[in-house]
Amino acid sequence: MKRSIPPGHWLLRSGSWSVLVDRRACLAGLTLSLALVVAGALSLASGSADIDAISAVRALFGVGEPMQVFLVRELRLERLLAGLFTGAALGIAGCLLQTLARNRLATPGVIGIDDGATAFAVASIVAVPTSLAPPALALIGAMTAAALAFGLAGGSGARGYRFIVVGIGVGAVFGALTNLMLARTDLDSANQAYPWTVGSLSARPWLAVQLLGIALLLAIPCAKGLNRALATLRFNDSVARGLGIDVARVRLLTLALTVLLTGLAVAVVGPVGLIALAAPEMARYLSGHRGVAVVNAGLAGALLMVCADWSGRTVLAPVEIPVGIVTAVIGGPYLLWILIRQPVRSTP
Amino acid sequence: MTQTLPAPTLVDRYRWRVYRCAGLLALVMVTSLLLGAGDTGPWRALSTLLGQGSSEERFVLFQLRWPRTLLGLLVGAALGAAGIVLQATTRNPLAEPGMLGVSAGASLAVVIAVALGASSATVNLGVAVAGALVGCALVLLVSRVGTLGDDPVRLVLAGAAFSSLLAALTSLILLHDQRSADEIRFWVIGALAGRSGDTLLWSLPGVIGGLLLLLPAIRPLASLALGERVAAGLGHHPQLTRMWALVAVAILVGTATAAAGPIGFVGLIVPFMARRLVGPDIRRTLLPALLLGPCVLISADIISRLTVRPYELPIGVITAFIGAPILIAVVRGQRMPRL
Repeated sequence: MKRSIPPGHWLLRSGSWSVLVDRRACLAGLTLSLALVVAGALSLASGSADIDAISAVRALFGVGEPMQVFLVRELRLERLLAGLFTGAALGIAGCLLQTLARNRLATPGVIGIDDGATAFAVASIVAVPTSLAPPALALIGAMTAAALAFGLAGGSGARGYRFIVVGIGVGAVFGALTNLMLARTDLDSANQAYPWTVGSLSARPWLAVQLLGIALLLAIPCAKGLNRALATLRFNDSVARGLGIDVARVRLLTLALTVLLTGLAVAVVGPVGLIALAAPEMARYLSGHRGVAVVNAGLAGALLMVCADWSGRTVLAPVEIPVGIVTAVIGGPYLLWILIRQPVRSTP
Repeated sequence: MTQTLPAPTLVDRYRWRVYRCAGLLALVMVTSLLLGAGDTGPWRALSTLLGQGSSEERFVLFQLRWPRTLLGLLVGAALGAAGIVLQATTRNPLAEPGMLGVSAGASLAVVIAVALGASSATVNLGVAVAGALVGCALVLLVSRVGTLGDDPVRLVLAGAAFSSLLAALTSLILLHDQRSADEIRFWVIGALAGRSGDTLLWSLPGVIGGLLLLLPAIRPLASLALGERVAAGLGHHPQLTRMWALVAVAILVGTATAAAGPIGFVGLIVPFMARRLVGPDIRRTLLPALLLGPCVLISADIISRLTVRPYELPIGVITAFIGAPILIAVVRGQRMPRL
């Protein structure tokens, strides 16, 4: 029995059920979760009123001064949750799309899904100011952009970088659409929408956060279930088909998950670039490049988002830098670095 | 056998196409004078042009629309020529000053200068040219690193990454410094309207200087299209040519950006049209591009005046609507045009 366990794995057994656990991925997940707890406590502690990290955590559980409890529970917790959820959603979406397109640069932000969701969500702010409208419309926008990018590029697989540039074009059109709508509205709505179009956690609609939480609960098991199929999809299509994978169906499901997560995340935070690009990378590095690290990508995304939001609030305090700008400043050089380092063989 | 006249016919055809571009430009400029966001309709404007009309209408026509159209002419010519030259230099049909971060470099430099307290227009011009120069240098550098320069599409990706970084830095500064944000909020989105009369005065020498600087580089650039080795064999210095051409591009784009703010996609649309019209040779495309650039920019400006009356739209929005489909079409093409 012992022989059948692959190296680097643990076998968990309960009756007739058994699960193989990748040891390194598991440790990576634990590390990321620990870092996330620390970052979350820091984020709860920082703000205009000084609370140290330990009392912030105590206040979270209802212990301590009533004022602090109110501050942490009612105001800062909401922001932290929004950051956690959006980061996780973007990280997972990035991981899925990268695997699907077999390209590290293919993230929802780069191929214009973010821009599509933003354009439609801005439309909802400008035209139909109800609280449910932004998430619903952002989803439709994300779907439209993804359909356009994939449709115009003629499928995702072999065309590599061309697919991404088609996505950039689609994103440019939606970005122009957003600007058009902002120019047409009165100054108040435009000002209201502005911090949100650059990606900021300061204007998070609570309903959208809850929706995103539910979507994450549904999406993580689905992504886990697709894990094995996705891992074979990293080879070419014929290998995956030979191993008994219904490639078209897996692609469609993966894309649907990506669009769902991206659309809902953008409805909360607006377009935030780096997360979907760097989180899967970080997760892959930590879990030793084995398999498709969906859960770890989500954890890494949440960690990056919380850290970016925290530093955006503290670096130039009292001025708050929107999280989208923080990630763009860090993410730009990172993207360039990937481009320069990436070997030429992944070009079609 | 006795009929051997193909060469003059070709030249004639080329000449006629250039004339047609010039005619189109004249038409677009007149349209730009006739149409506007205000109350002066096309018929009133026409009669004002012919010498009648009230003083108010004359003011609208000759003080508002005419300088604006001229500025469009200058900026459009600069961006069109810059697009053609940048594409020839990188041998990449997707290269475009806006997308490769040259415009973003210029606008970041201006924003920094304003944040540091500069306010005179001439300082802005110099600073914008310097910023564009840095952007160009980075393009050159990035296209030389590894295999990046061989792949048109990856160069565009690198440019997109670079310009999004610069744009983020720009908004960071604007966010930090409310005073400069108010001062250049309108400039930073890119538009032809609301520029002072001086803008024309100082951007004219910039554009003409850039174009003159370009002249000696045209023949070497044309030979560069045959490949680096052939160009060297013909007695040119590919590296020197590139640097010379990029300096000219920086002056053109810097001037255009200082005058009208960052405007993307014009440098992509114009070479695309010019190549369609007269083929890929830069010696032939440059002149139509100089004429078509203003056509595109002034048309976009007209649309931007009419769509959201009485407000105005950033021109970049219109050019993105035209340019992004062209970008997609070029990328989608089975055989990417090699330059």
